Amino acid sequence: MEQHRDLKFSPKITRTGIIDCDVHPYPKNAGEIRSYLKQPWRERYNGGGRGFYGNPVHGDRLDARPPQGGPSGSDPELLRKQLVEEYGYAYAILMPRAFCNLHPDPDFGNAIAAAYNDWLADTWLSKYNHDGVFKGSITVNPQDPAAAAREIERWAGHPHFVQVMTDSGARAPFGQRQYYPIYEACEKFGLPFAIHPGTDGMGINVQPSPGYPTHYIEWHTCLSLGFQAHLVSFLTEGVFERFPGFKIVLVEGGVSWLAPLMWRLDAEYKALRYEVPWLKRKPSGYLRDHVRITSQPLERPDNDQHLLQIFDMMDAEHILMFSSDYPHWDFDSPTRAFPKLDESLRHRIFFENAREFYKL
Amino acid sequence: MGRHIIGAVSDFPAGSRNIVVLEERSIGVFNVNGTYYALKNSCPHQGAPLCVGTVTGMTLPSAPGEYLYAREGEIVRCPWHGWEFDITSGKSIFDPHKCLVKTYDVTVEAEESAGVETYPVTVDSGRIVVHL
Repeated sequence: MEQHRDLKFSPKITRTGIIDCDVHPYPKNAGEIRSYLKQPWRERYNGGGRGFYGNPVHGDRLDARPPQGGPSGSDPELLRKQLVEEYGYAYAILMPRAFCNLHPDPDFGNAIAAAYNDWLADTWLSKYNHDGVFKGSITVNPQDPAAAAREIERWAGHPHFVQVMTDSGARAPFGQRQYYPIYEACEKFGLPFAIHPGTDGMGINVQPSPGYPTHYIEWHTCLSLGFQAHLVSFLTEGVFERFPGFKIVLVEGGVSWLAPLMWRLDAEYKALRYEVPWLKRKPSGYLRDHVRITSQPLERPDNDQHLLQIFDMMDAEHILMFSSDYPHWDFDSPTRAFPKLDESLRHRIFFENAREFYKL
Repeated sequence: MGRHIIGAVSDFPAGSRNIVVLEERSIGVFNVNGTYYALKNSCPHQGAPLCVGTVTGMTLPSAPGEYLYAREGEIVRCPWHGWEFDITSGKSIFDPHKCLVKTYDVTVEAEESAGVETYPVTVDSGRIVVHL
């Protein structure tokens, strides 16, 4: 933690506006990340990506590509203009796309995670962050939980890293015990654990669906299946009993499935509590204290009332947090993605739930 | 109903796409194989600048496993979410009746040269006019 001491701690400012819980900053090129890698990884790293299931149309907002070149999300001034200024943001929670957890070699995955963290800290969380609007995520490689825990410790105490993140692609559900060093570190340093789609079925990870779907439309729709499996695993394994201060946030994994999945799980629990006797509450009873879910890509049934009923069923007032996914193709506009909400509900979803969760 | 001269035919060649602002409205003007179309530059979905999206073709409705790619240059895709719109009608491909963007009439008119004897002119010397 030595390295964080010279960072200026600005006085606590009370901000209003929107907190966007899923914004993607990109390096200007692979060389930017490479410069933070030691050999032999430096010469082996080519920029990554997930390989298959690219969007066949376009993967990013075309108007977010910087006119001077470079990928969407790589120009902090354009991002500020299109998001922070356009919609009046209080904070943007940054989630870099390292794709580090699909490599068979854990040392390579760990090195990429660390390089992304060094890069984010040097650029978006300091050089580009004069007003403190950007808050970052510590990328970890959950294929190597002990190394992931050390990486968390390396950044704990940094004023602008507010959570730990991984992609949802995995070889085993996230509630299982091999991951506990990560959750122990998260709890110790008060950092939530964010899960974002991206490497499902890629590299060494398994698909959340039975085998490989043919099309991007299938793969992208079924990303929420992985989130459902991870959440059921967290709840039934008793992770929140073992780590009472541990919290998770499901980012870009879908919204409308939550309530019916919890009904199903709670119903099973009535007989099968026998199998998981460490649970002190019905499974859904852990959500408000331990689980948050971000909004994008928000499902929009033809009838707005149906969505509002779903919000009520899922306790959106306490657990749903707005996200845009800028600059990706399925960006949700803060002003257009939602039906009209009661002001108090809108305030909780667009600001207060995230402010509380991230202690901003 | 405003009538706005936006330029000369030579400025809008086949395959071109220009964004103009008329009466404070951003409008995309397309030349599709020599015919002009104008669409409101705002996607009915979430308000993205629709007309700056990719101008492309589309896969036509077909049997499972069959690909019929056609209409090159007649489709614009929203730059955000990729929804396809028919430039010639403003209608979306996925739901043409319920999801569509406003269109405007475009005409080619000869340059006015009042006061002197006039002669028939070719389209090449005309002005593109958008009617709001």
